[in-house]
Order: sequence, then structure tokens, then C-alpha cells
Amino acid sequence: MTGKDRLIYFLAWSCALVTTTVVCGLLGFIAWQGGAVLGPALFFGDAPAWPAISGQVPVWDGIWPACVGTLVLVLLAASLALPFGLGCGLYLAILAKGRKKAFCSLCINQLAGTPSIVMGLFGFAMILFLRRTFVPGANTCLLLAGVCLAVLILPYIVRATQNAVEAIPLTQRLIGPSLGLTLWQNMVYSILPQASRGILGGVILAVGRAAEDTAVILLTGVVANAGLPRGVLGPFEALPFTIYYLAAEYRSQSELQTGFGACLELLILTALLFVSARWIQRKIENTWY
Amino acid sequence: MHFSETFSRMLLYTAAIVSLACVMAVFAFLVYFAWPVLAGGEWKDLLSLNWRPFQGHYGILPMILGSMYLTVLAMLVACPLAAGVCLFCSGLGPGPAAGAVKALVRFMSGIPTVVYGFVAAFTLVPFLRSHFSGSTGYCLLAAGLILGFLILPTIVLIGLSALERVDQELSLTCSALGLSRVQSLIHVIFPAAWPGLLAAVLLGFARAVGDTLIALMLAGNAPQLPGSLFDSIRTLTAHIALVVATDSQSQAYRSVFAAGCLLFFIAAAVNITVFRVQQKFGGLSRDG
Amino acid sequence: MFRRIFFVFLCLCTAVFSLQPVWAGSSDLSAFDGLSGRLTIAGGTAHIPVMKQAARQIMEHNPDIAITVAGGGSGVGVQKVGAGLVDIGNTGRALSEKERDKFGLKSYAFAVDGVGLAVHPDNPVNNLSKDQVKGIFAGEIGSWKQVGGADRQINLYTRDEASGTRSVFWKKALDKGPVAVEANVIQSNGAMKVAISRDPDAIGYLSIGHMDDSVSGVAIDGVSPTRENAKEGSYPVVRKLYMNTKGEPGKLARTFIDYLQGPRGAHIVSENGFIPAGQ
Repeated sequence: MTGKDRLIYFLAWSCALVTTTVVCGLLGFIAWQGGAVLGPALFFGDAPAWPAISGQVPVWDGIWPACVGTLVLVLLAASLALPFGLGCGLYLAILAKGRKKAFCSLCINQLAGTPSIVMGLFGFAMILFLRRTFVPGANTCLLLAGVCLAVLILPYIVRATQNAVEAIPLTQRLIGPSLGLTLWQNMVYSILPQASRGILGGVILAVGRAAEDTAVILLTGVVANAGLPRGVLGPFEALPFTIYYLAAEYRSQSELQTGFGACLELLILTALLFVSARWIQRKIENTWY
Repeated sequence: MHFSETFSRMLLYTAAIVSLACVMAVFAFLVYFAWPVLAGGEWKDLLSLNWRPFQGHYGILPMILGSMYLTVLAMLVACPLAAGVCLFCSGLGPGPAAGAVKALVRFMSGIPTVVYGFVAAFTLVPFLRSHFSGSTGYCLLAAGLILGFLILPTIVLIGLSALERVDQELSLTCSALGLSRVQSLIHVIFPAAWPGLLAAVLLGFARAVGDTLIALMLAGNAPQLPGSLFDSIRTLTAHIALVVATDSQSQAYRSVFAAGCLLFFIAAAVNITVFRVQQKFGGLSRDG
Repeated sequence: MFRRIFFVFLCLCTAVFSLQPVWAGSSDLSAFDGLSGRLTIAGGTAHIPVMKQAARQIMEHNPDIAITVAGGGSGVGVQKVGAGLVDIGNTGRALSEKERDKFGLKSYAFAVDGVGLAVHPDNPVNNLSKDQVKGIFAGEIGSWKQVGGADRQINLYTRDEASGTRSVFWKKALDKGPVAVEANVIQSNGAMKVAISRDPDAIGYLSIGHMDDSVSGVAIDGVSPTRENAKEGSYPVVRKLYMNTKGEPGKLARTFIDYLQGPRGAHIVSENGFIPAGQ
């Protein structure tokens, strides 16, 4: 090995080492600090567990309302984005050709590349516009944040659907038409079941993205204290915003520890989603190849 | 049967049109609200160095420069590291280790941004504050380092997929010519995969420009011209978040929408460039 | 013996009935019985601990009421209540004529607070002249050594533009002088306290009610920023804390305002380090 080769080996190894150390350090730090606080007190403060979960007793100093807020937000965003994402992905994979396909792809990629704060600004602009025209009483709320998050995660679902359908080998895709199925029957009985794993993986990644996003909800109605969400037209709490807020304004050591606990919880949540998406995708690779 | 065929086609067309309408809507709203600024003479005011809304100065030039400096710093941190990790995972590291590092980088892409910011605020910031006098710890350097690590997985994963594609075609040829692994990587494979690598770098750049939380939590948010690595700076994205959260004057809104338009156009420029590169020089997978 | 028991019983009754006036009245929790709905409050960050404590008491007493408290600063409070986005907008400064006329707002003061200079507890500097304060915030005095401290750079922290705390400090302590552009911008009183307590070379300003052991107050021209000095009037940088509504407040908002301006509210206000407005 020449000297230059050795140098490159050294550089490659050191880059890998630096990256590994930083990431493991980060994860270890959170596990250490946050692990110390995990427990019912982190979630419910001083309220008893079961009444707090069902909403009979309000929770103070706990992150349970933020968890529920995040959950509701993510479900809302996913249910809004899924039909349109599936439809658009199927369109790109089955119906579109040539220039229309290129243009549509370009637009979806543009949506994917738009910064999330711009998406939040879009939501804020919508409220300003509505207040001036149709709905004078419009206010930032859970529904608005759900809509903006849905637009944010739409491209992930579109791409996942498109890739999943395009990954089906041609011979399998021809089954439907060769049996004389209509487009609808082909989609529902042949293509979607075969592509379901890929689509599911993409949906899980999109859900993870919606759960961790902060910039969009910052501008569309998240607050630091609102309790459990009461209807979609009101303010709400969310886990990423609670973490951000605690980092800036913790008022005691225990609040800081709560912040670490919330970090750990969000990390576990996104890690679970991520690992399950990867596992599903691995299974597909084994199916087709 | 004919009806069902048309119906399902219409269904798919509708879904596609709604998705396209979202992009158009985002663009339309931003331009609608920024229009008074862009069309009138006020955009010249926006390019001043003074952000003092209560005195009528709405200059966002410090924020534009802050975004630029931060992005460049993050790229300087991320690109060499990404190159090294790509080399490591493409054969310079032993098989199991390469697989482990790749899995770790994949996992990194799932770590929430706010968690990076939170941990850095309580580890990196006090470290910088105590070791470099003249700095509060909340500075360009802190944000740049963490942002670099944030965009690292994007660059590595897309770069690796581009490299693997080229590798399949060319690695046998290189061994046949007697090149060592290092030589074939540096002299043949990296150059051959340049469209994919360029796309990876551009997408990392777009991610760095568009990030809000890191800058908001770690960069100090002073609306000044960045003078040194240890100065507090404010980026366009953090500026939007701060102004809308403390919407003190309706005139300040318009500067914020102009900032939003600018960010949208930067994303569009990157998107179109990647698209053209892809068209001309061969496809690549954007999922990594 | 029966007479003794009867006498004790009579005393007990008298004692119980004589306590009633403390609990009766329109400014206590029973006023919230039968009410329901949502009350949204936004604005000044100094008010947040008081608002949150009152909200907690009310919501525990009557679960049908939901009270949301958000921050943002006094400017946000005015904008949001003027636009009808919240029911009560808090400000840490008096409204200007323009604001009052433009939105048709009504103000209700419920506490008196001061704005004090603060540094890290390990910083030996605890007294500055007014000119020194102005020089530090303008960026002209750059090192702690110039004002009697260690040879280290002064790290400036200031509030965002919407803050009422900032506007009061700027008018009364800085005499509307310039604030250096390289100061770190902090978004609330709570965050200012955290920032100062973590930076040994920091100087900033925050509400006196928010000061505790994690920061150390700095006297201006010999007068310390304490609650007593603010109450007496010897500390000049004081302001009232206001709740503002657009026009006449609704039933729930009116009851909330009465609650905070009444004796129970005064108790909450004192507990949080402010001075009740009546005193």
C-alpha cells in the first residue's frame, strides 16, 4: 500500500469513528439523563394515572397532554394525506407518461424540498386570508396544523407508493390486464396488495416525520399549556414543542429533567417507527429478489 | 365497465391534481402576501442591514447572510465527513463494520431535529462558552457543527446509493486492471458517480438552508452581520419563526413573506438543478 | 356539664360563621360555578406564572372550564386581543393612545412589578451607575473590568421587540438609548432567567417577580431591584401588569378578571413576587 493509500484509509476510518462517536454520545446522553426520569411522574405529574389518561383529571407538570396532542395531530395529518398520496402515487406509476409524468414528479419533489417553516407560513397565510374573506373568526388550531402537516408529508407517501408499484416486476403487473380486469379491479385486487408493504413502510416514515416536526406547528397554533385537545378548532400541545419550550424556559431542575425525559420519549417513538419501516422494507427486498 | 374505468381514472386524476394544487397553493399564498413588497419599491428597504421594526427598518440582509454563512459552514463540516463515511462503507472498512456504520447513519436520519438542538444546548454551548472567551456559546459555530451532523445522513445515504450503482458496473473492470480498492474508488468510481454525488450534496444544501430549529435554538438570534465564528447570528428560517411568534407589527409580516418566498425559490432552484442533472446524466434513487 | 357543651358548641358556631366573609364574595372560586367554555389568554410573559396558577385553581374547581395561557410578549397580547384571536391580552406596559383607539381595548391592572438588571450569582458586580448601564447596553463598555468585575467580556442579553419588559426598561433605565445589535435576543422572562443563570458573564433584564436565587439583581445608583423598593417607590423602573379585553369582557373573562383583582388573586400575585395593584 502506498503512503497515499494509507492516508485515505486513515481518513475514512477517522470519519466513520467521529460520526459513530458523536451519534452514540448523543443517544447515550439522552438515555442517561432521560432514563433517570422515566416513570408515571414524567407523564402525569402528580395526578393519578388512569383518571389522567381518560381526561377526567387535568395533568399539570406532565407530558401526557403533549403526547396525546402529537398522536391526534399525526393521525389527522396521515388520514388527510393518505388518500391523495396513494392516488397521486398510483397516477404516477400507472397512468402518467412522458412530460406529464416529469412535470408531476417535479412538483412533488418541490413539495418535498420546501422548508417546513415555509409550510407553517403557508398555514398562517391561509388563516390571514380566511380572516379577511370568508371566515372572520378563523384562528390557528389543531385542524390547521393537521392540514399543513398533511401537505408536508404528502410527498413521502406519493414517492413511497410510486416506488412500491414500480418495484413490482413487469410480469406481476401484467396479471391484472391479462385477466381482463378493469383499472379499478386491477388496482384494488392486484397492484395494491402487492405494493402494500412498500406503501406501509412509506406511510410509517411519513408518520415519523409528522411526529417530529416543530417548525410547522410553531406557526399554526401549538401552545405550551393547553391540556388534552378539546376539539380540532382549539389550541393544542405537542411533544416537539414541549421539548423546545423546556430547553429555553425551564424553571427548575425537575423541569429540565422532564425535558430530557420528553426527548427520550420522542426518540423512542421515532426510533420504533423507523425500525419497523426498515424491517418492512427489508421483507420486500426478500420477496422480489 | 366503461363507467368504472372512467371513474377510477377520474379518481386518480383528482388525487394528482389535488397534490399539484398544494404546491401551487403554497406558492400562490406566499406571493400574494409578499407581492406588496416585491412589486412596490419596498424590496430595496428589505435589503438593508437594519432590522429594527419599531423604528421602521425592516432590513433582512443580515438574516440572508446569516443563512448563507451557516449553510456554508454546515456543508464544510458535512461534506468531508460524508466523503470519508462513503469511502468507509464502500469497501475501505471491514464488511461488518461498514454494515454497522451504514445502519447507524440510517438511524441518524430518523433522530428528531429538536433532540439535536436540545442536547447541543446543554453540552456544546456551555463547552464553547467556557473555552472561548468572548462568546456566549450561542453562535454560528455551535449551530454550524450541529447542522453539519444533521445533514450528514442525507448526503451519505444518497451518495452511497449512487456509488453502489456505479460500483456494480465498474468494480470488476477496476480489479481486472489491477487497481487497489482505494485507487479504484478515488480515480474511477467517485468520478463516474458524479451526478448522483452532486444531487446528494445539493439535497444536503437544501436541507441545511431550510432548517429552523437548530438555528433558533443555538445561533443566538441577534439580527447582525456575522463577523466571526463566535458571533450570534440569525437565519431567515429562525427569523420567520421569531417574527410570526411575536407579530408586533403588520408591516413586519411582509418582510417575513418575502423571506418565505426567497426560501421557496432556493428550494425550487435546487430541485430544478437536480432534475436536470438526473435527466441528462442518468437516474438515481432519492430514498437511499 | 350540658351548659359547658352548649357553650363550646356556641363558640364553634360563632367561629365557623365568622370565617364566612373571607370565603364569600364575587371574587372567589364559587363565582365560576355553572360557567363553562374556553378562555384564551396570551401576551406578556411576566404574567404567565400568575395566570397559570389562577387557571389551575379555577380548572380544578370547575372542570368544565378550559383556560389556555400562551406567551409572546406584550406586543403580541395587544395584536391578538385586538384581532379577536384571544379573550384576554396581557401587557406589561400601559397601552398607547393609538392602540387603545385602534382596537377599542379596555385595561385592567392587577399587579405592580419592576424590571431589574440581573447578572450571574457568581458575578461580584452588584451596583452600577445609570451611565454605566447605558454604556453597557449600547455596547460601549465591553469588559467587566471596566465596571469593577473580572477581566472578561460582557455578554449582553436583551428581549425581543414585542416585549413590554423591554420597552419599560428601555424608556426608564436606558432613557431610550441605543441597544447594541450584537446582543442575544431572548423571547421571554423565563428564558432570560435561564440564559443569565447559565452564563457567568451575562447581563440582562427581567421582571422582579421572576428573580430568584439563580440570578443576582444589580442595583442602579444604589437602589436594588427588590419587591420592597418597588413598593416603596424608591426603585424607578416599575410598571403595572395589565389584562386587556376588546370592548366589554364576556362573562367568563369578566369573572376571571374579578378573581385576579380580588383577594384570592392578590394572594396569588404576592406569592409570585409581584405587588397586588390595590396596594
